[in-house]
Amino acid sequence: MNLKPLLKIKKLNLSFGGIKAVQDISFDVHDQELIGLIGPNGAGKTTVFNMISGFYTADSGDIIFLEKNIQRLKPNQVNQAGIARTFQNIRLFGQLSVLDNVQLALQQKSKIAWLECVFRTRQYLQYEENLKSESLNLLKIFGLDTFSKDPASSLSYGSQRKLEIVRALATKPKLLILDEPAAGMNQAETDDLKKLILFIKKSFQLTVLLIEHDMKLVMNIWVMKKNINFIIKKKQFVLILMRLFGVFLKKEILIT
Amino acid sequence: MINAIMALGLNFITGVANQFSLGSAGFIALGAYTSAVLTKEIFRNWYFIPLTALIAACVSGIAGYLVSIPSFRLKGDYLAIVTMGFAEIVRVIFLNWDFVGGARGYNAILKWPDFSLAYIFTGLFLALTFIILYHLKISAFGRNLWALNEDEIAAEVMGTPVSKSKRTAFMISSFFSGLAGAMYAHNLGYISPGSFGFLMTVNVLIIAVLGGLGSMTGSILASAILTALPEVLRNVSAADVDIRMIVFPILLILMMIFRPQGLFGRKEIWEIKSK
Repeated sequence: MNLKPLLKIKKLNLSFGGIKAVQDISFDVHDQELIGLIGPNGAGKTTVFNMISGFYTADSGDIIFLEKNIQRLKPNQVNQAGIARTFQNIRLFGQLSVLDNVQLALQQKSKIAWLECVFRTRQYLQYEENLKSESLNLLKIFGLDTFSKDPASSLSYGSQRKLEIVRALATKPKLLILDEPAAGMNQAETDDLKKLILFIKKSFQLTVLLIEHDMKLVMNIWVMKKNINFIIKKKQFVLILMRLFGVFLKKEILIT
Repeated sequence: MINAIMALGLNFITGVANQFSLGSAGFIALGAYTSAVLTKEIFRNWYFIPLTALIAACVSGIAGYLVSIPSFRLKGDYLAIVTMGFAEIVRVIFLNWDFVGGARGYNAILKWPDFSLAYIFTGLFLALTFIILYHLKISAFGRNLWALNEDEIAAEVMGTPVSKSKRTAFMISSFFSGLAGAMYAHNLGYISPGSFGFLMTVNVLIIAVLGGLGSMTGSILASAILTALPEVLRNVSAADVDIRMIVFPILLILMMIFRPQGLFGRKEIWEIKSK
């Protein structure tokens, strides 16, 4: 494992008006780790994700990814830097085909000028063909290639989640951020998802950061809390819970 | 056919990219006046009309790009209001500019020598517009626009350069509005600021919506229908009462009730499957 962290978050603060959504958060994510962020509702987990992916700009603090400060980048630039994310509520391009969803994500890595699209140059046709075959390959890995022509909104809920992850992968990230991937899934689907995440991590050499309350899944956990008194109790509660499930944790850090 | 070019231009930005623009008339006016002035003052021969039309389109395109820089920080209704404001500004400038006739309008514009020639060239430009916009719609660039149409946030997270794509799309859209404006000027031979009012934008928008937002063939068909319908209905008039103006809106309302997505929705005419 590298000594230098892949993603380093330093003393992040963000407030909306008078409400301090995130206060002095710092944590590191190392290469090839699978990390879970847990905490009760309103602790600011999603807010941290939104700050990493560029939707919110923190009031103070730094987000360092691959030794570059990405704090002030826009969401599309953050993605270009190598961070892909999914959403808590699925955000697919519903009316576009499954294939188009993946192609869209893939095409951002190699730009083509719109004038070339007008004149349909040979270069452009070649480009489209590559895009299509590459997308189909990716879909095939996840068994979604049979639906490639259907609109994304016609897929089942579980497949939609899967497609969202595939789409995020298509942007060729180094760090994958999943916001409650198991939300709204039943036990069987959650188990499948676990396998899927572990499979992705292994075969794409990824680092995964996720918000997930199912702790068997993750290697390390950060607990986010607002109220300090409550944290200690919560920490003990979490520890008890973990012992109950017999989960082995390499390290555990609490964020206050 | 001119209506069709106008509608295609608007359809590209409103239908494909889902950016609600009400500034069509402004760009059409800009194109019309540019081409009219150029033919009257510099190129005094009808051979140059296609050339001046393209120059006019470029002027509109550039204007569109400049307008898009500040206005695409806004979304939805606000964007519509800003573009509408732009169209009004253009209109008022021409209204108060004596060089182009002010409120009297600009007359004696070079016309096509005969009607069939006008027909052929307008048809050619329409074909060009259609081919370019259709190719763009199904291209990688079009996919960017469809994505931000569906979900801007997700598109942005996937690395789509959202604001850049929008600006480019708006530029392309105003380019074709300008082209349509030039065609308009040379077909009528007379333009006045009054004709480029908000009503023109609304007419163009009706065509685009009726044909189906995002459907290029839909826009062409709808413009044909909407241009022909009032003429056909002329015969329906009962005795002395002119019921044309009553039947026409009723047809529009019925259309919107039974096919709110327009004639073809997003599809092109050959993509429609028979049920």
